[in-house]
Amino acid sequence: MYLMQSKNRAAILGYGAYIPYYRLPTTEIARVWRGGGSGPNVEKAVASMDEDTVTMAIEAARQAVAMSGLDSLGAVFVGTESKPYAVKPTSTIVAQALGQHHTLAADLEFACKAGTEAIQVITGLVGSGMIQAGLAIGMDTAQGRPGDDLEYTAASGGAAYVIGNKGEGAIAVIDCSTSFVSDTGDFWRRAHEKYPRHLSRFTGEPAYFYHIENAVRTLFEETGHKPGDFTYAVFHQPNPRFPVEVATRLGFTMDQIKTGLLNPMIGNTYSGSSPIGLAAVLDEAKPGDKILLASFGSGAGSDAFCLDVKDGITKKRGKSPTVKSMLQRGTRIDYSTYSKFRDKLHK
Amino acid sequence: MAIQSWRIRDRYYRLVGSRCASCGAEYFPPVYRCRECGSDKMKDKEMPKTGRIVTYTQLHEPLPGFEAQVPFYLALVELENGARVLTQVVDSPDEAVKTGAKVKATVRRAKVEGESGQIIYGYKFIVA
Repeated sequence: MYLMQSKNRAAILGYGAYIPYYRLPTTEIARVWRGGGSGPNVEKAVASMDEDTVTMAIEAARQAVAMSGLDSLGAVFVGTESKPYAVKPTSTIVAQALGQHHTLAADLEFACKAGTEAIQVITGLVGSGMIQAGLAIGMDTAQGRPGDDLEYTAASGGAAYVIGNKGEGAIAVIDCSTSFVSDTGDFWRRAHEKYPRHLSRFTGEPAYFYHIENAVRTLFEETGHKPGDFTYAVFHQPNPRFPVEVATRLGFTMDQIKTGLLNPMIGNTYSGSSPIGLAAVLDEAKPGDKILLASFGSGAGSDAFCLDVKDGITKKRGKSPTVKSMLQRGTRIDYSTYSKFRDKLHK
Repeated sequence: MAIQSWRIRDRYYRLVGSRCASCGAEYFPPVYRCRECGSDKMKDKEMPKTGRIVTYTQLHEPLPGFEAQVPFYLALVELENGARVLTQVVDSPDEAVKTGAKVKATVRRAKVEGESGQIIYGYKFIVA
């Protein structure tokens, strides 16, 4: 009774990921603030000084739309917690850059799970017949206070998905989903504050694990699916450890999660985290594969999805750059350059 | 956003130039009359997003609003249809920025306007 399933199934028709060119090794952060060591992840992706959520969303969206082959979108939703403007939509700038005007456009915010919220809403709009296709984007330029634990992982990037009616061009059908939320103050940022605050270890058990486990177990109970039914599983990735731990608790193996586990290389891209993990999986998936996707957003909640990969994946593969190619194209920067790029250092 | 930037945002975001309906010549930035045949039947046309560097330089003394970005590459890029664009080249190693290098378009922040804080977005290119 908690399962969300559109009467007319919607499907992913195109997708595109975006990882910025610059990488900051976490040894650099540790060198500056601790005198040595490293963070939990090896590197994090850093947006350049001329990049923000708008520019990165446009890049990912262009790839997704090109792959879909569509020229009209009924909705453009951007899930992010790093809007360039407090008041002025990110989504309208993205829509303008795509040449889309007869479209519903909105920005969604739910800490790290706004991207999957966008997928949920577009799925509903398509499934109800209100629109033929829409664009759901999860993208962030996440920021951590200098020296804070969060600075090691807070990263930039994300992915965009064109969702429409299932048909010949379907890459993956969005079969069903569940959501689980509660008022949990694990992580927040008040208005006018530049950096978020968090309750350290409180972000784990009562927040990340509680919500993801509830969303995924509900999905299992109501569909009858078991972990072994899935070829791949993608979980939100605030650090390298949490997704492995939650996967183990839920009965998944490393083989099922390793393809979508990107945190060690790029950090936590917040609203982009699980969507970009899904993109990495779709880069390799085959028709017939089943994918579990589970996001987490502080505050707090989780969306869990069951996706079925279709023949369209084979026909459309190669029409947008792979996540792997983006991981390979990059250059390392030092803490000073990162500080300049991310507005921590001014001339 | 300054009115001037707002009016030409499709040029900045999507490289919208013009195509002559009479002879097919394409231009960026858009023109009101065709330089090839003199026709005034010009239509909006989105330019190709790839091209090659014709020539380039590295700027150390930029215009106001671009100070934080120095040094940066400024290049003349010839698009696949022959139209030429003066543009920044970003996210590319120094050794890759050279005459003849294949480039592709991206959208970036061009600058932030003074006290208003409005962000002007526009095209830049990356070595492909």
